[in-house]
Amino acid sequence: MAVLRATDVHLAYGPIRAVRGCTFHLDEGETVAIVGANGAGKTTLMRGLCGLLAPADGSIEVLGGPLAGRRPDELARDGLLHIPEGRGTISNLDVLDNLRLAYEIRPTTVGFEAAIEAVFARFPRLKERSDQRAGSLSGGEQQMLALARAIVNRPKVLLVDEPSLGLSPLMIGEVFRTLREFQEAGMSIMLVEQNVVKALKLAHRAYVLRQGEIVLEGKGGELAQKTEVLEAYLGSH
Amino acid sequence: MLAEQIANGVVVGGLYALVALGFTLVFGLLDKLNFAHGEVVTLAGFVALVAVQLGASVWLAIPIVIVVTGLSGLLIELLSFRAFTSKEGHSVSALSSFALGIVILEVVRLEYGAAPLNLAIPTTIYTSGISILGAPIPWVKLATLGISVVLMIGLHVVVGHTRLGRQIRAVGEAPTSAMLLGIHVTRVIQYVFVVASALAGISGLLIAMQGGFVSSEVGFTFALKGIAIMAIGGMGDLRGAVLAGLLIGIAEGIAIHYGLGGFSDVLVWLVMIAVLLIRPEGLLGGGRREVRA
Repeated sequence: MAVLRATDVHLAYGPIRAVRGCTFHLDEGETVAIVGANGAGKTTLMRGLCGLLAPADGSIEVLGGPLAGRRPDELARDGLLHIPEGRGTISNLDVLDNLRLAYEIRPTTVGFEAAIEAVFARFPRLKERSDQRAGSLSGGEQQMLALARAIVNRPKVLLVDEPSLGLSPLMIGEVFRTLREFQEAGMSIMLVEQNVVKALKLAHRAYVLRQGEIVLEGKGGELAQKTEVLEAYLGSH
Repeated sequence: MLAEQIANGVVVGGLYALVALGFTLVFGLLDKLNFAHGEVVTLAGFVALVAVQLGASVWLAIPIVIVVTGLSGLLIELLSFRAFTSKEGHSVSALSSFALGIVILEVVRLEYGAAPLNLAIPTTIYTSGISILGAPIPWVKLATLGISVVLMIGLHVVVGHTRLGRQIRAVGEAPTSAMLLGIHVTRVIQYVFVVASALAGISGLLIAMQGGFVSSEVGFTFALKGIAIMAIGGMGDLRGAVLAGLLIGIAEGIAIHYGLGGFSDVLVWLVMIAVLLIRPEGLLGGGRREVRA
């Protein structure tokens, strides 16, 4: 069952169509990667999926209903968590308050304390820094915090935009390990990445985006084999 | 005597701070100045007057004023802020709210004229009280200070330690990120306008209580000082507004003691110019757009 489906979607900033006629879907429990070069329209696509940018044409369905007319905050409360490029952490709030914000919009009966224990068990570093401003964390720690919000928030669909951008190889490994855990826990994940090799390794399926259009799709592992095709579309790595 | 003037200064400074807190909240949240804020202070006095004239007791007038001024915040947000995103720049909201403030003021003047009108307040609150360090403090000043302090602490707790406060701080810093976290940004902005305007309303009541009369002049006077105090304390910083309000109030009290009372209105603006030259972000400001408890 698809938790997210885009049909012939066009997304535009004024007269500029950054995404043109994309059709794709994300099934429940699936991880789908969208890969493409800089400027291919990946981030625009994500902005469309979370309701920040209304499609100029085509339709999007999320969480079993049309996206049209639903605000991003309503979608977030319904279980669509978008971790944007730049992570979307609130730098003026401390680590604990950032997690509280994410928890409070989708609270559980177990309570915040229990939810936070799971986060701290997974990311001991965040426990050490729980009373520090998010803005004072390193880039890697901020990405940990951004991902940790998904642990307390338990979204049905997680959209992640360039989570490895600007991180050290060590931290990139940590990000993908975390996403793998989310995947194994049954979360439906849509991942936009420039790190094609790692993204395709993680994803069940992937779409290659080039100049706003989907030019290739397939199983993650199969696409990963087609290095020459990928290089033609993505530019050399 | 000096102690008495300093005590007066603390009371007046607290009122300045309450008005400045409303400016600070809205500025920290939206990076915009709400020039209608001062006239809500004026409005409060006249709503109380009307309520009493219609037969309400002074005690019943208080919640009526808080509700009416709080609702006026919703109107200000809707007419002068909601429609204008950052694309239009900040001057449109400033101009629109300035016009709205003048509309409120002129409607009050049309109905009640420019002269002060008496409120029937029992005189014992002015004539009796307690003595601190030899300085006589009447009940009215004690009550004003007490209410101001409770409101400031309350605001600090709400903004610093509640769910709404977290959401206010998140929206103030990064509205898009806040939205992606499921925060209803427009709702949070509405709450802030209601809280800021209700604070202005209570300030208006307390100001009217000081002299036992209402006047259409008070809003403008307190709005000007409130803006200056926000700038001195640090834009968006609640503690800065309280600190600067008290400092200015006490400085005015001292100026009055030394016969320089006429100079006190010049003082606040000179201080503001000096602080901005030395620390453009204000005494406690962080130089960022945000709300800090």
